[in-house]
Amino acid sequence: MSLRADSVLRVRWWLSFTSDGARCRGPAAGNGDLVPIVSTGNTAQVPDEPVLRCAELTRRFGERLAVDDVSFSLDAGEIYGLLGPNGAGKTTTIKMVCGLLEPDGGTITIGGRPAAGDLSVKSLVGYVPQDVALYSDLTARENLAFLGRLYRLHGALLEERVSEALELTDLSDRAGDRVDSFSGGMKRRLNMAAGLLNHPVLLVLDEPTVGVDPQSRHAILERVQTFGRGGMAVLYTTHYMEEAERVCDRVGIVDRGRLVAEGTRRELVARLGQRDRIELGAAGDLERLAAAVRTVPGVESADTADHAVHLVAEDGRRILPAILEAAERAEVALNSVDVVEPDLEAVFLHLTGTALRE
Amino acid sequence: MRNAFVIAHKDLRQRLRDRSAIVLGLVAPLAIAALMSVAFKGSDTFHFTMGVVDVDRGPVAAGLLKALDAPGLRQIVTVKTIASKRSAADAVRAKSVAAALVVPAGFSASIEGGDPLSLVTLTSVNQTVAGDITSSIATSFIAQLNADRLSVATALAAGVPTSQSAHLEALAAGFQIPERAVQRSIGAHKLKTISYYSPGMAIFFLLFTISFTARSFFVDRAQGMIERIRAAPVRPLEILAGKAMSVLVYGVASLGTVAVITSAAFGANWGAPAAAALLGLAMVVAVVCVTALVMCIARTQRQAEGISSIAVFGLALLGGNFIFLSSSPPVMRTVALFTPNGWAMRGFTDLSTIGGGLGTVAEPVLAILSFSVVAGSAAALLARRAVAA
Repeated sequence: MSLRADSVLRVRWWLSFTSDGARCRGPAAGNGDLVPIVSTGNTAQVPDEPVLRCAELTRRFGERLAVDDVSFSLDAGEIYGLLGPNGAGKTTTIKMVCGLLEPDGGTITIGGRPAAGDLSVKSLVGYVPQDVALYSDLTARENLAFLGRLYRLHGALLEERVSEALELTDLSDRAGDRVDSFSGGMKRRLNMAAGLLNHPVLLVLDEPTVGVDPQSRHAILERVQTFGRGGMAVLYTTHYMEEAERVCDRVGIVDRGRLVAEGTRRELVARLGQRDRIELGAAGDLERLAAAVRTVPGVESADTADHAVHLVAEDGRRILPAILEAAERAEVALNSVDVVEPDLEAVFLHLTGTALRE
Repeated sequence: MRNAFVIAHKDLRQRLRDRSAIVLGLVAPLAIAALMSVAFKGSDTFHFTMGVVDVDRGPVAAGLLKALDAPGLRQIVTVKTIASKRSAADAVRAKSVAAALVVPAGFSASIEGGDPLSLVTLTSVNQTVAGDITSSIATSFIAQLNADRLSVATALAAGVPTSQSAHLEALAAGFQIPERAVQRSIGAHKLKTISYYSPGMAIFFLLFTISFTARSFFVDRAQGMIERIRAAPVRPLEILAGKAMSVLVYGVASLGTVAVITSAAFGANWGAPAAAALLGLAMVVAVVCVTALVMCIARTQRQAEGISSIAVFGLALLGGNFIFLSSSPPVMRTVALFTPNGWAMRGFTDLSTIGGGLGTVAEPVLAILSFSVVAGSAAALLARRAVAA
């Protein structure tokens, strides 16, 4: 499932051009530095502007505030992860970025151009939805050709782009087969291929690994990293902490519609200081155990998830005996105690008081 | 609008691969029109065999047999002489004759006396039309006899010698009463059953396009395809326009094919090709607009299926796709004028009977397009919400 070397080269080559042939910026420009583009086409990017800039985005659904004053930006070649539990507002945010929802407040600029009211800006974006969105009664090639035509591709260029996308996702040999004959992993790959047809400046991936087997997940993450290395800006949403840690250059932590923190993994973990994350595996009343350990001096937050109590504490090793005593008082038998190196899970727990749940 | 063509092209490709679309658009209307034609074949040229039992063997019975042999009746009735009333009853029961007329013994003599006998008709519940016609012939013949008797009696009362009575009877028999009201169609042709049910069934199955297009829209939406298309540089109206175009092409192809095949294979008369094509196109446009409206009104696939079912069967029933509008109650004929298919059926009937060209269908086409404008405008108002939902 690994990406072929020639595919990597091709990614690098085509990421150096926008869909109308304009120069883009990215490692493919030569020495790895970002190079301003020059273009007169409608998909041109304004020089020295981030590929994506979201400023004070707000969106309500009735009384519920789904996205609350969210701001972030994304440069070419950067993979930005929006990390948060289900319902945090990640999908609503990217739907606004892709023009599928109108924000109630705030602005979005893509390639330096305001997204609102400008249909052509959509040509800069490749969208890979969370669920597989393909016509099952059409072949892989027919699906891609249809979607490519919507991006004004036609003739030899369309053929070339379709073949390229199929090659990138290792589906060339199944191009003529109907999608309903594909495995789940193949559909996921084709779903991603459809987002690459227009050679987007910004690729938006909405939880692309949900419900995917480990092998396909590994392949998808590998490809995402390749796109980033090729100079594409990637906006990636996930609620899997390990995915965000693996593929994202920067991570924005989203909780209840708000972007509570953002930065590189190192920057975010540094916010924890000397804090440790401790996982208490237990059989019994986990809520009771969490309540008990919250009373221990030094424990900042504790929450239950995945059959364990997760807590963040200053100098975790020092207060471990007190935590064990609290568990005994709560009459909950512990199965395991892990003091984990600070990670994004700990950051999330520290910032929101709740654990990320799968 | 380029994107609309792209979407329409994709929809048509999918539809061609879907056998149910071929069945609904082509096979079903042809099959049902042919079945309807066979089922109602007798109603175009009704003919039956009538048994006649002449026990009287007098001059009046002879007159009745002569009347039954008149050229006008010969087209409808074949007379078969039967020996006895019992044999006639058996023949009706055995369906070897559809009905029978019995002239009882002494019938001629009784006419001259003061207490005339009755003609007896033998009918079956399975042959009600033949029975009604036989009774009608008997009643008509008796009315003629009574008129003759009255004429002769009047003349005798006025002083004409009784020796002249035979001459008077002969004279009276020469007059036909009452004066007949003759029905003539204003059309150049009679409306054949196949000429009514061919467009009727073609339009009925065309209406099903509303159902499966609306359904496919909501399936696309549920599968995230509408969202994916909207993520591309495509306007919401282009998505609906693409769906509408595919309905238009499919509808025109379906109607056109059914028209050609029913004309060539079953002898259906659709009228002048240009006028029929214009009328068919107007009807397809109406279906496109109703489809768009259903897609815009419904919020879920289930709602779309429910609304489109009501639309399909409501329009078909009210518009006269199943029954001859001309023989339905006046209120039904009025209601049909509020449906596009009702106007279309009226147009096709006029083309088939009156004939003529574009002038014949001008009024129906205008009425159908007016309906389309109303439905299409409502759909356009709701389009953005429907696609964005």
